[in-house]
Amino acid sequence: MILGSADPEELGCTRPTVASLPRQSFVLDDVVLLQAFYEMPRTAREPVLPPGLHPTNPAALVLQVWRCGDSPWGPFALAQARVQCRSGLRARGFVTGAVCEGSDATRALRDELGFPVRDGRVELQRGYDRVLATVEVDDRPVFELEGEDPDPLSPGDLQYSSTLTLAHLPAGLRLVQIEPQVTLERAERVRPRLLGFDPSALGEPRLEPTTPVSGSVATGRIEIPPVRFVCRPAELAFTGTEKVEG
Amino acid sequence: MKFGIFFEMSTPMPLRDGIEKQVYDNALEQARLADALGFDFVWAVEHHFLEEYSHCSAPEVVLTAVAAQTEQIRVGHGAVVCVPEMNHPIRVAERAATLDLISNGRLELGTARSSTWTELGGFEVDPDDTKKTWDEFVRVLPRLFGPEPLAYEGRCFSMPERNVLPKPLQQPHPPLWVTVTSPGTELDAADRGIGCLGVAAAGYAEQERRTREYHRRIQLCDPVSSVVNDRVSTLNFLYCHEDAQRAAQTGMQLVGTFGLANAHLLWTREAYPTRAYQSLANLAPGSGRSGGSNPANPYGVPEGVCVGSPGQIIDAIKHWESIGIDGINFLLNGLEVIPQVQVLESLRLFAREVMPAFRTGETRAVTPERAGAVTR
Repeated sequence: MILGSADPEELGCTRPTVASLPRQSFVLDDVVLLQAFYEMPRTAREPVLPPGLHPTNPAALVLQVWRCGDSPWGPFALAQARVQCRSGLRARGFVTGAVCEGSDATRALRDELGFPVRDGRVELQRGYDRVLATVEVDDRPVFELEGEDPDPLSPGDLQYSSTLTLAHLPAGLRLVQIEPQVTLERAERVRPRLLGFDPSALGEPRLEPTTPVSGSVATGRIEIPPVRFVCRPAELAFTGTEKVEG
Repeated sequence: MKFGIFFEMSTPMPLRDGIEKQVYDNALEQARLADALGFDFVWAVEHHFLEEYSHCSAPEVVLTAVAAQTEQIRVGHGAVVCVPEMNHPIRVAERAATLDLISNGRLELGTARSSTWTELGGFEVDPDDTKKTWDEFVRVLPRLFGPEPLAYEGRCFSMPERNVLPKPLQQPHPPLWVTVTSPGTELDAADRGIGCLGVAAAGYAEQERRTREYHRRIQLCDPVSSVVNDRVSTLNFLYCHEDAQRAAQTGMQLVGTFGLANAHLLWTREAYPTRAYQSLANLAPGSGRSGGSNPANPYGVPEGVCVGSPGQIIDAIKHWESIGIDGINFLLNGLEVIPQVQVLESLRLFAREVMPAFRTGETRAVTPERAGAVTR
């Protein structure tokens, strides 16, 4: 079967350390969530994933921007780049890099959930004709993502894959499985347009969005429950998954 | 109860020399044996770009070869993708009629619309449109098969008056089916008077509910043709061995490997949010059948899966039969995890020990000499 070929230790060089995984849920309210789904070239299919994960065919990059009005860490905005993949039988998004505006949220996402996240400026403006996300780090643009012509969908038509981060846990380097429960009030499909994209700022210079597939924008609530499972990054999920003791 | 074999042509990657040829040769050998053993159908899927899962993009060619190498078994498109970017409806009718002639009237014509972004995106198909184009195809195909020239003005294609040739041998046309992956498509089949070709996992209870509703709805159908096909078939795995434990060990390799390849497909809805693809359904173990809910099987074989000893498989098929299933089509291998010699032995054992339990009063005879001679 086709597997990721990245060296986990090499990937781990830039990944955070999590002293202990959270035992409580985090509830994020008043959330606007913009997602864009892009195909990537085959050359970036296996090298960006650890061997415990299977790439999709075609390789796919998902950009997500959350603007969160209320959370345990106050208002914040998060932009993340995710490579779509499979862990065992399940669809997942492997986070390569993220930018967050809101220092308490940055700290929590990095130190408690293993997001490879750094401080920056993340703006998400929503209009009736378009949605625009702007992401910068150190005053340098990371990407600008526009979603054009919102077209109403039923909230049930949207599907978000769970998240995998890679972090140093006390037991070693692990994929951390984060399973946000998204409850939507409103959903629209948009046509994505990416204006400028700096993959290095998102942790992986080989990320290369090519064919735009879809975009969506939604409002609602996200609950991040306690992490239940982690996985050794060099092993398939069937053998490498470890239950997190609660 | 009718029995078929179902080809996905799943192939391990990375491709090694000759592996695709081996997969195709093995499939043709299985088809010849299935014919000799008295199986009813050989189905071949149409999939594009689905590395590992299915390397079967030209089923009409596969089925032509099967037809040429067999005598009685029916050959089925399982199924033609009914979107014009992939198949023009006139070409579908032409190829189907030709295959029906060459096979001496043995064609079953399945229709589908594709479920993966890999395929739809590869042909630049708008996922919002595929239900509409499928519907137009199934309504126009019977007319294209008709005896008179046809002028047609439609949504996804139009044509001035032309006579589509050749005409199929079966009249008015080969039986029509639709592949059912998402729950609800069986109702589309019923409403149009076409057969329900199940290709995704469902446990007994779910399948019984769907089958009952299909049979109720088809009584009220507005058929797309002058003939109604009211059959319901499902897809299953097959590995039959006298020793139940060995059967489970080998058969579950097939179930697990194929299910894993299936789970790795990039489903349309995952990539492209749309009302046209409401649900995900697949053949992955645990997606529709639960091994844990099958206390009758101590070896972890999920409910209803035809992996086991002949007696266990008879029990499973009797259950399928009791809930109104007319036919079961079997996946015999996946990514070549089972050596071909074992696949063929499993088929022979099934024909010898299982088929007779369901063949009382039927006329089609198995010729033991031929069954043995095909592959030895």
